[in-house]
Amino acid sequence: MENESKREKENVPFYRMIMDDFMLLMFLGVTIYAIFYLLWGVMELSNIPTIPEELKETLIK
Amino acid sequence: MFRICDITGFKVDLSSEKLIRYNAVFAVVSLLLAVVAALLLVLTRYQPIHLLGAEWYYRLVTFHGLNALIFWIIFFEIAGLYFGSTVVLNTRFCSPKAGWVAFILMASGLVMSNVIILMGKADVMLTSYTPLKAHPLYYLGIILFAVGALIAVALFFGNLMIARRENAYGDSLPLFTYGLMTAAIIAVITLATGALIYIPTFLWSLGLVENVDPAMYKLIWWGLGHSSQQINVAAMVSIWYMVSFLAVGGTSINEKVSRSAFVLYILFICLASAHHLLTDPGVSSAWKVWNTSYAMYLAVLASMIHAFAVPSSFESAQRRWGYNKGLFEWLSKAPWGNPAFSSVILAIIGFGFIGGTTGVVFGMEQTNIIVHNTIAIPGHFKGTVVIGTTLTFMGITYYLIPLIFRRKIVGFKWAKVQPWLFFIGIALLSISMIVLGQLGVPRRHWDSTFSGGPFTHNFNPAVDFFWALMMLGGVIAFTATIIWILIVVFSVFLGPKVNGPQDMQLTISPLAPPAKSHKGFEAPGTLILTFVFLLVFLAIFFLNWKWLAATWYVK
Repeated sequence: MENESKREKENVPFYRMIMDDFMLLMFLGVTIYAIFYLLWGVMELSNIPTIPEELKETLIK
Repeated sequence: MFRICDITGFKVDLSSEKLIRYNAVFAVVSLLLAVVAALLLVLTRYQPIHLLGAEWYYRLVTFHGLNALIFWIIFFEIAGLYFGSTVVLNTRFCSPKAGWVAFILMASGLVMSNVIILMGKADVMLTSYTPLKAHPLYYLGIILFAVGALIAVALFFGNLMIARRENAYGDSLPLFTYGLMTAAIIAVITLATGALIYIPTFLWSLGLVENVDPAMYKLIWWGLGHSSQQINVAAMVSIWYMVSFLAVGGTSINEKVSRSAFVLYILFICLASAHHLLTDPGVSSAWKVWNTSYAMYLAVLASMIHAFAVPSSFESAQRRWGYNKGLFEWLSKAPWGNPAFSSVILAIIGFGFIGGTTGVVFGMEQTNIIVHNTIAIPGHFKGTVVIGTTLTFMGITYYLIPLIFRRKIVGFKWAKVQPWLFFIGIALLSISMIVLGQLGVPRRHWDSTFSGGPFTHNFNPAVDFFWALMMLGGVIAFTATIIWILIVVFSVFLGPKVNGPQDMQLTISPLAPPAKSHKGFEAPGTLILTFVFLLVFLAIFFLNWKWLAATWYVK
């Protein structure tokens, strides 16, 4: 009986193993979002040069 | 402790049932709060009435947004997650105590944020862009709600693990639960992003953090704001499949493809949040185009797969029941007297033709500029979240009342009319808002005539007509929502008890029989309808590019 269920598990196609593994899907979903939306976006915003202090003061005035 | 449902034969965990009931009741209360505010807002934006003063207008925009887009939807989804992971899988709830902790946190968050808004200490609208600052308790309320929701999502995964260990389902999760699992994964992404932005903002409101950068805030906030609406999409589509199964015994004609479409949601749908930043100068075009076009189109592809798969599951089942004449007998002989069925069909039409088409057009960097920050944007999401998600949730409630609350539906004749009335109202409201936006009317504006201001603007005279149409649509939709709430409240608290299948007013169909012979397309009617949809989409798509070309005249 145990061997049978083991064999069944071995016969599960690869795509279905991925599709049924919700922890793996969660990992992939979080990672893709974190890299392309969050990190890339945060990186671009962090690279904006800061406004020169003199110009800032002129604008505030 | 279990009971065996005498209608479905499912084993129902009583602690899970109680949690489903409480979350569903709080969802309905949130919807009531949201629609009362919505009516007042519509009557304010309609200039001949202009009901509220500026202060209360912005206060209620905040109140409406939070209750409609966060509280109503997420409370209902948590009820759905518990239902899909215990009742549908015939298994027990992993930790009822934690379920109550989650519920209490969410309920306290709702009360806290709403009270602070109504006290006038958080007129920051749902987005609460910094440097607008609300009272710390407003942010704390949202954080409590999010933590509660995150615990509830973790419990959903806990239930799935128990079901798997106990071999409660076959090789794969049922498609309905699989869709809910997609919603739960998107919820994890959403709520984690929410924590990432609301915790520093809360500390800033307390004076413990000096500054929250507005550009950074906007980027991260939309990871929460838009992704939260993608939880709805996944949950809504799951319910579509479920109603096909319950109403006509239908299943997806290709489950593998339907599951792949859910996986596309998990991988790509949250990236679409970037379209809220399409006019922001801080992020590059590469970032915008990758996230809103290439990646988002994979999620759009998933929606188009579902938009074909769900109606084709209805058609295929109906044909197997013998409704085979011509292209559309399956549709004309469909169970239109079942309010859950009519809700879902109307939701699919509205979501596709109004919300979906405009979503793609407004989500593109080029055509977005025509309507960015106009009233067309809330018009678009009335087509997705309201016609799509809310109408679907209203529809499935007609099944939940007898199956979970064990009561008959009071005023069943009204229940049959309600989805149509709601659809007509929201369609009028949504289309009017989209047209108004195309004519340049701004969103979130107390007085778009700019009366008394140093600058005025003469809108196209057609605007007056569409304002009136929008007001009419809003009033009809409000009436339909109140009818639904009254049906739910009277049924749940005063309705006669359900004692068995004989008391079911909605059909629970057996699985449709296998096809006797198979020639040609399995769902030709759906194929024709899909082409009609694609033609409409192409027309809207090219019309918007034409408008864009006409905006800047190039010599």
